Amino acid sequence: MTASARQVELMSAPRLRVLRFGGVAFVINLRTLSLILVTFVLLVAAACLAMMLGSFRLTVGEVVGSVLGTGNGEADFVIWRLRFPRTLTVAMLGGALAMSGAIFQGAVRNPLVSPDIIGINAGATLAAVFWILTDMPQGAIPLLAFVGAMSVASLVYLLSWKGHISGGRLILIGIGINALLGAGVTFLFVRYPVQQTRSALAWTVGTANNSDWADVRLLAYSLAILIPLAVALMWSLRVMQLGDTTARSVGLPIERTRLLLIAVGSTLSAFAIAVAGPIGFVALTAPHIARMIAGPMTSGVFIFTLLVGALFLMLSDIVAQHALPVSLPVGVVTAAIGAPYFLFLLYRVNARV
Amino acid sequence: MTTSPQLRASNVTISYNGALDIVSDLDFDVPQGQITSIIGPNGCGKSTLLRAMSRLMKPRLGSVLLDGQAIHQHSTREVAKMLGMLSQQLELPEMVTVEDLVRRGRYPHRSMWQPPGHDDQVAVDRAMLLAGVTDLRSRSVDELSGGQRQRAWIAMVLAQDTPMLLLDEPTTYLDIAHSREVLELAKRLNREDEKTVVMVLHDLNDAVRYSDHIVVMKDGEIVERGGPQEIANAELIRNVFGVECDIVKDANGWFCIPRSKNASIRNTTGGESDAVASESLTVGYGRVPVLKSVSVTFPDGKLSAVVGPNACGKSTLVKTIARLLKSSEGSTSVHGRPIFEGSHRDFAQRVGLLSQGAAIPTDIRVQELVMSGRFPYQRWYRQWSNEDQGEVDKALQSTHTEEFRWRSVATLSGGQRQRAWLAMALAQQTPVLMLDEPTTFLDIGHQIELLDLVSEMNCRSGLTAVMVLHDLSLACRYADYMVAMKDGRVAAAGAPEQIVSESMVREVFGVDCSVVTDEQTGRPLILPLGTANSLQARPADDASSTGAARNGSVNRTLKEPVG
Repeated sequence: MTASARQVELMSAPRLRVLRFGGVAFVINLRTLSLILVTFVLLVAAACLAMMLGSFRLTVGEVVGSVLGTGNGEADFVIWRLRFPRTLTVAMLGGALAMSGAIFQGAVRNPLVSPDIIGINAGATLAAVFWILTDMPQGAIPLLAFVGAMSVASLVYLLSWKGHISGGRLILIGIGINALLGAGVTFLFVRYPVQQTRSALAWTVGTANNSDWADVRLLAYSLAILIPLAVALMWSLRVMQLGDTTARSVGLPIERTRLLLIAVGSTLSAFAIAVAGPIGFVALTAPHIARMIAGPMTSGVFIFTLLVGALFLMLSDIVAQHALPVSLPVGVVTAAIGAPYFLFLLYRVNARV
Repeated sequence: MTTSPQLRASNVTISYNGALDIVSDLDFDVPQGQITSIIGPNGCGKSTLLRAMSRLMKPRLGSVLLDGQAIHQHSTREVAKMLGMLSQQLELPEMVTVEDLVRRGRYPHRSMWQPPGHDDQVAVDRAMLLAGVTDLRSRSVDELSGGQRQRAWIAMVLAQDTPMLLLDEPTTYLDIAHSREVLELAKRLNREDEKTVVMVLHDLNDAVRYSDHIVVMKDGEIVERGGPQEIANAELIRNVFGVECDIVKDANGWFCIPRSKNASIRNTTGGESDAVASESLTVGYGRVPVLKSVSVTFPDGKLSAVVGPNACGKSTLVKTIARLLKSSEGSTSVHGRPIFEGSHRDFAQRVGLLSQGAAIPTDIRVQELVMSGRFPYQRWYRQWSNEDQGEVDKALQSTHTEEFRWRSVATLSGGQRQRAWLAMALAQQTPVLMLDEPTTFLDIGHQIELLDLVSEMNCRSGLTAVMVLHDLSLACRYADYMVAMKDGRVAAAGAPEQIVSESMVREVFGVDCSVVTDEQTGRPLILPLGTANSLQARPADDASSTGAARNGSVNRTLKEPVG
């Protein structure tokens, strides 16, 4: 890519370059680019580790050989049937959640928002739990979770609309809806006999345990559409950070852009929930970690955020599977790391005022 | 009334989060029973000093002593009984009425279980009356205009009923009449109730006119202090604010007339046609119309100013023209094209806006901010062109922001920041630029600098600029065309020389003044009459003063509360 592109120095400035080919031009921050590359390498390394560990241990060579199609039969079976789809799913889930969080935080200009806080996860959970408890066909659960998530997102958006969207209002309404849906889930658990609620309970904590190639395909197709869309929207989001008035005075149709951002963000998290169930706190934490390292949100930092989210979930999943004798759902681990971090964030934000 | 406490800062050094010292090794003894003004350029540490002296923050070194004891050893309640502090940029409570807000000032005088007593209500009523917000008592604070809000906060501080008042820029957002009322009030509280007053002031004329003692700060240190007439002179202003000025002293008081470096440069072209034409605009928030059938035009290639008292609708007019607000009736066109024709992007290539009190993005750098001005010319897949680069460089150059282009916007001083925002608006390369109170938070030196810049852009590239300005004299000086507004209507429009007169200022702003012609610029100068110091010090002069005699009686008394 770089070979064919004409590199133009943007300024005497450090690390900013413009990549041009014909009518297309992108501003590239070299520091962000190197961060992306480093994180990608780390992600690949973590993925290798994830595929090596397990009851049937493999060496690095065996993992790489299998993935590249030169492995032996035994390793091939473990990798291709079990660990490779799971690893890919985890990476894509982490990426989708992180992107969703970054989009929401940018769209309402509040660092403390994420899809799980404004009730999107709860909406999917309520739909799925209801479906499981009423003994409906299991195959429809992902679709139902997706529909639940998207309906809550639309509801929150519509209730927040008062000629324009105010970030504070959207968050408060989201938190209210989240509480309401949480109460609904609890009600269902109390209402139905314990034997029936067991399998439904498992659904309330996100896990990648049952992922297969169908999941990989679903996520890959949706991300193939949503990532370019989101990256393109980041160009507008950058200007949105300057405040509504300024953004409008430089020609950004602010409400349309915000609606698009919220739609893309909700869809990203809805796909993740449909595949794995509600995994908390990745969407909230990953963008923060990324911004702390790479600076304010741009297209480059957004891609970095995606990778940070993927890496975060990958490591959490390794811990969830192998740290204890019993394997845990990954949602438990992300909550165990994410919740204290969230408290720390709240503390820091308050301390600054 | 208890006697005024003794407040003093002894060798204080103050910094935020261990960063650079804002105030360094400073001694300041508040003169008891007097009005003291602290003046100085943006970022000199004057507000920070006041915050430390009111126990809002702790100095890094040294101590603030209240009645001989370190102020942090007193409880907040004790301090609040002695010092009433009006801070700047207060957070806005939602759904709180003015009366509720003012009642909060009584907090230090009440114990937890005691219901508000008769004394409290008397103090609250009196405070509202003094600050002129009685009529607004049941209005919600967030519905008020900037000026009304500021007076509501002042009322809250007055309800605290303290022997000492610390006021941080009490006249920000206030128009001439209101700021004068507030200053007269301070004077009255000082003279009649023997309150000690310390104010951070923006306006040099106000500081000289209303204080007994002036403290001049620069770069975190006190560079001069003393009686206003003794210390305030052109040399001091040059050294501290970096601006040349003429001082006019007459029976009416003391006036500082700042000079720009290029006052003689005037744009002689343009004005043949109208750049902006609005016809019978009616705009309102909710049901109350702010603009009532306003028809106004602004000439092409000229500098125009919109002036008027608080809440007259001047910002609303500018926002409507900039397409931020929709008018319920009427229409606006820019260069003959209706503003709502075309996309947002297209409009952003025609009209730019420098908005008031724009949000400060935390970690964005100056150049990145200026680059955002190029947004209407870009697409996500075509993010940067040589033309973009050229315009950004040009904008940075002409606003003299090049040297800190890689600094974060949050680290800039008020003046630098405003220049950075201007650079962004200039990079947008629009033929028409609207500026909503671009000078509000700037000291006199930076105000001149910014207005010089705009007038330079007007001369050099024929930029049509429409500015909402606070300071009438500055507006007269810089604008080729002026629109004076009152109560949502246009009161007068035309060249400043033609429309500005003593009767017009009285009618629109409600203050008496004398209007003279500035020989250097040929523009009108507005000299307010009836300044407290000159009246107090030389009552004989007042009667014989030609200005006062010519203009009838001097507005000496505080006006009745206005809505």
